[in-house]
Amino acid sequence: MQILIVEDESKLAYALQQGLEEEGYSAAVALSGEDALRWLERGTPDLMLLDVMLSKRNGLSVLREFRRDGYQSPVLLLTALDSVEDRVLGLDAGADDYLVKPFAFPELLARVRALLRRTATPAQSVLDLADLHMNLAGRIVTREGTSLELTSREFDLLEYLMLNRGRVVSREMLTRDVWKETMRYTSLDNVIDVQIARLRRKIDDPFAVKLLHTVRGIGFVLREE
Amino acid sequence: MRPFAQSGNLRLRLTLWYGTAFSILLLLHIGVATYVHYSQLINRAYHAEIQDLETTEGLVYQAPDGRITMNEEYFNNPEIRMHLDRHLEILSPDGKVLYQDQRLDGAGIDGPLLPHEGVGTYNERATRLSDGRRVLVISHFHYIHGQPMILRVAYDEAPLFANVVSFLGVLLLLAPITVLIAMWVVFTVASRALSPLSSMVRRAEKITAERLSERLPVHDPSDDLGHAARVFNGLLQRLEDSFSQLRRFTSDASHELRTPLASMRSIGEVSLQTSHSNEQYRDVIASMLEEVRRLTQLVDSLLAISRADSGQIALRLTSFSCIDLIQEVIAVVGILAEDKHQTIFVADGPQIILHADRGILRQAILNVVDNAIKYSPASTEIRIEVSVASDSIAEIAISDRGPGIPPEEQSQIFDRFYRIDSGRSRERGGTGLGLSIAKWAVEAHGGNIGVRAAEEGGSCFYIHLPLSV
Repeated sequence: MQILIVEDESKLAYALQQGLEEEGYSAAVALSGEDALRWLERGTPDLMLLDVMLSKRNGLSVLREFRRDGYQSPVLLLTALDSVEDRVLGLDAGADDYLVKPFAFPELLARVRALLRRTATPAQSVLDLADLHMNLAGRIVTREGTSLELTSREFDLLEYLMLNRGRVVSREMLTRDVWKETMRYTSLDNVIDVQIARLRRKIDDPFAVKLLHTVRGIGFVLREE
Repeated sequence: MRPFAQSGNLRLRLTLWYGTAFSILLLLHIGVATYVHYSQLINRAYHAEIQDLETTEGLVYQAPDGRITMNEEYFNNPEIRMHLDRHLEILSPDGKVLYQDQRLDGAGIDGPLLPHEGVGTYNERATRLSDGRRVLVISHFHYIHGQPMILRVAYDEAPLFANVVSFLGVLLLLAPITVLIAMWVVFTVASRALSPLSSMVRRAEKITAERLSERLPVHDPSDDLGHAARVFNGLLQRLEDSFSQLRRFTSDASHELRTPLASMRSIGEVSLQTSHSNEQYRDVIASMLEEVRRLTQLVDSLLAISRADSGQIALRLTSFSCIDLIQEVIAVVGILAEDKHQTIFVADGPQIILHADRGILRQAILNVVDNAIKYSPASTEIRIEVSVASDSIAEIAISDRGPGIPPEEQSQIFDRFYRIDSGRSRERGGTGLGLSIAKWAVEAHGGNIGVRAAEEGGSCFYIHLPLSV
């Protein structure tokens, strides 16, 4: 999977490149709109990360030119502007998604995965990690064959972590996707921490192998260590 | 333009306006006075003529030759004559001239007789002699020695006219002097009355953003300028307040922004001074990321506030049940209360439907409830009550069992970054903007938010919202 990063802030561009490559993608950096256009003459990336505020040329005008040239692949806009108008403007110009700086890297990865997964994966009805088993239809959770009593919120949280098992999810992602908060400035950190602690008490504490881990500074992950 | 020149200009304009108006009135006055004087003179002349005529009637006699003649020598009454030239004419009822003053040189006073001229009354009119002189004529029908005749007396109008002209001349000569004196008085009085304005303007010129504590001088609080000065001083007070609020906000914001930056910098610098294990580096980076997160939240909140300040946030109004919204908030933050063994009690109340932006209002209630949980001791009750405060206002009251808020701080806690006990509050997390965001959210809906002491101790935050009809 080839990803083109169009970003004039080189520190950020190369950090993203490194992060994406560590995730197994092949990533290239273009530090200006012109660079990006030259790059596109040679090949077609599967996804483009595009900064809206490019120093020489506005990212949106670059995006329009890409689309005019018949570039079909998904584009994820990166921007410091997050008003509704800016969003609408970006999506009108042909972007597929929108991420406001500063964003959490796990969040970027989640968006990239979603955009590259062109066809929606069939909804799974059963999720498994080690001896943890989740039946989504029946809303049943078992570990080592023992049924666990989870509240509705705990179940939703666990489901989200299970769907992203092996990957770190940030607090921002949980706020938006599990608690369905739309406003960026809403902080549910305390709520999330308490909820995670409770979930951990139920799914990990009675068992020898711990599955739910806190990645300090980033978020949480479900995985077998 | 210099302030003095400006007020000087005003005085000059006032004086000129006054001078013009005064001149017009004065001219009108002179005109009326002259006219009244003139008509009085005419009346006196007619009156004198009537007396003259009566005297004349006594002096007319028929000479032996049958001619009508008059004893001119007796006819010398200076008191009556007003020193006016007198002409006399006696006519028979059929218009024949019986006697004529020599000065008329054979020409009649006023041609043929008018119908019933002078019968039963003194007929007065103004007319012109053949030589062009204007005269005032009185005629009277009279029997002399049984013989009917008509007497006409005419006074020359020219001396009267000369009198009126000289009267007018004197008045017109005095008018400019009067106007000038009046204008000088007005100019002086205006200067004195406006002198506080000059000093106010001079003071106002010195007031800048840095010197908003200056106030305009109030010379006489009861007059118009004093009133204006007080109004301006009120305006300055409000400006000063909002300036100092802004300054405090800026300095608070930079403090809040610098604190995580300082931590990040120190953590990074210290860790690079000597080499550490991988584990320690991970710890350092994680610690720095925590600060980044704090900064991000702060910047997002500040951005939301500045958008709200500049009115960039449009409300998306929908109708929903107030209790449902509160239950939704409790579903989110209730776990924090449970964690502290607190209970959140929602009192039974009327079903209230709000017409508001659900997301924004939810944020306000969430912030207030979160605050109540944060500051209430463990194992206490937080009470939420929805009621109709008056005909058109719904009240959401959130009472906690916290330490309460001193009355002098009750109005300030909604200020941005305001913390009653800054050290302890920061440990509890939050940006210090929660209540000010709540305040904005409620006020955007035309409501208001406040705090009072709760009945059972602690504080009671209330949100008042207008009920849609």
